[in-house]
Amino acid sequence: MRAKFFMTGLMAASVLSVGLAMPSQAEAVGVTDGTAADPVTGISLPPGFKATIFADEVGQVRHLVAAENGWVYGALRRSVRGMGAVALRDTDGDGVADEREYFGESIQGSGVDVHDGYLYYSTDIAVMRWPLPESGAPSGEPVVIAEGFVSETQHASKNFAFDNEGHLYVNVGAPSNACMREMRKKGSPGMRPCPILEKYAGIWRFDAAKPNQDQMADGHLYSTGIRNGLALAWNPHANALYMAQHGRDQLASFFPEMFTNEQSAELPSEEFHRLSDGYNVGWPYSYYDHQQGKRMVMPEYGGDGKMESGEGEMPLVGFPGHWAPNDMLFLSTDALPEAYQKGAFIAFHGSWNRAPLPQQGYRVVYVPLNDEGDVSGDWVTFANGFAGPEPVMSPRDAVHRPMGLAEGPDGAIYIGSLMSGGRIWKVTYEGN
Amino acid sequence: MKAIDTFAAVALVAAASTPSIAEDSLTDGKTGYETHCAVCHQYDGGGVPFMQPELFDSARANGPKGGVIDMILFGSAAPGAGQGEYSNEMPGFDFLTNKEIAAIATYVRTNFKNSGGAVTADDVQSRRPQSNGSGASSGAD
Repeated sequence: MRAKFFMTGLMAASVLSVGLAMPSQAEAVGVTDGTAADPVTGISLPPGFKATIFADEVGQVRHLVAAENGWVYGALRRSVRGMGAVALRDTDGDGVADEREYFGESIQGSGVDVHDGYLYYSTDIAVMRWPLPESGAPSGEPVVIAEGFVSETQHASKNFAFDNEGHLYVNVGAPSNACMREMRKKGSPGMRPCPILEKYAGIWRFDAAKPNQDQMADGHLYSTGIRNGLALAWNPHANALYMAQHGRDQLASFFPEMFTNEQSAELPSEEFHRLSDGYNVGWPYSYYDHQQGKRMVMPEYGGDGKMESGEGEMPLVGFPGHWAPNDMLFLSTDALPEAYQKGAFIAFHGSWNRAPLPQQGYRVVYVPLNDEGDVSGDWVTFANGFAGPEPVMSPRDAVHRPMGLAEGPDGAIYIGSLMSGGRIWKVTYEGN
Repeated sequence: MKAIDTFAAVALVAAASTPSIAEDSLTDGKTGYETHCAVCHQYDGGGVPFMQPELFDSARANGPKGGVIDMILFGSAAPGAGQGEYSNEMPGFDFLTNKEIAAIATYVRTNFKNSGGAVTADDVQSRRPQSNGSGASSGAD
């Protein structure tokens, strides 16, 4: 076991307060749970931050990118009037987009980003790109960069990230809960070796510029054992790929003799990892338990909630179960206070698998990291209140759920939600 | 609907006061629903947007009995997974007994603003593959 941070927030906070004694101005200050949401924007933010509703009724917007050309692009899970992406711009600087164009005919998807002068987009089966236009929507047919991904319905999003050396990293989620022989069937054992690991449950690396690369023929399996790494981003400060995983569901309903409803709501952790070539997170053979601070054997593979596993890596942080990390953002500007500049923002979509306990996690958090990319303090909540009145007993009652994150050239942070018609907030730091 | 709710409540109370509680509660529709279905479709039947369908005013729950029975027996393989708005696949619950499935199907068809009506164990048996065999199919009472 490597001596890295894998503590819960509270543990980390107590160690920090005793051990590291960081200067107070260097600590990221979050928004306290229970803080009243702003009546106009519906969300709560830490002191000094302000939000506007940048765009409303945009459609089911997934990931976002705020490009150098001043436009914000969003991928749409379901097309709007036959178009699977949206471009938005605020021309008068009031924090509200006043121009809107839909594009991406006959496609729909989740991933969108800008790299090396191109606008990249992913459907569930391919990553493609257009030259980034000077303004507005791109024109012409996109060129396919990576393809050959199997069409699935579960964990199908092909979200992606780039490094600084011309590589594209694509998440290929597992269409499975725990690689059970029979899908989500009580009593069905896990398969070993898990055949799903061959084409799924990992991050595949491609040349970011070469057209028509096939997943299996041309892609390189960079990291494996990842059930679904929808929150995936390159940390430009530490030059490494970071990922937060959607953990497995239904511990109590499949193994009521081992897990209470309370344990099943909290476990397994949503794991936050720093990846590397050959890294294995551990799914489906193991999961992380942040309450015990240990990797455990998955019950489909003989675990009982107490048996430790030697398979898989320890996460940097284990978040509470089922919060659903759906995007991650590292900043490249210095518009925010120093304490926020080098860590990871993670958008949690919020849970559905904590019932009969209240659902949780509809928030954006910030994990402080140092220059080396190690956790340097307790994670805090950066934005909250999206779901509306608490407690949320049924996910359908959540008004909004955080999804995509982006940073504008001016350092503004954009947060999207695909609920209630689709909304994007713009968050800026205004100071004291 | 009211009658069924009342019946379920009475059954629960009765079950709680008799030694045969386990068997009785297993066959009770609400208990069965909460044991096997609520984790995904939620306790209120509200489902999860984009992932698992809500059961309110459900065309299937208000339609022919076979629709709900087939969903429980075969899961999303019955209509074909990934159709429509919902991304998750549903497993089959053919390992449950006809009586258990009938109770759950009745609960779904008479709750969550549905009025499809009750389902019997015989209805369930008739939807099982090789239902005319001599008790060879799984899940017989």
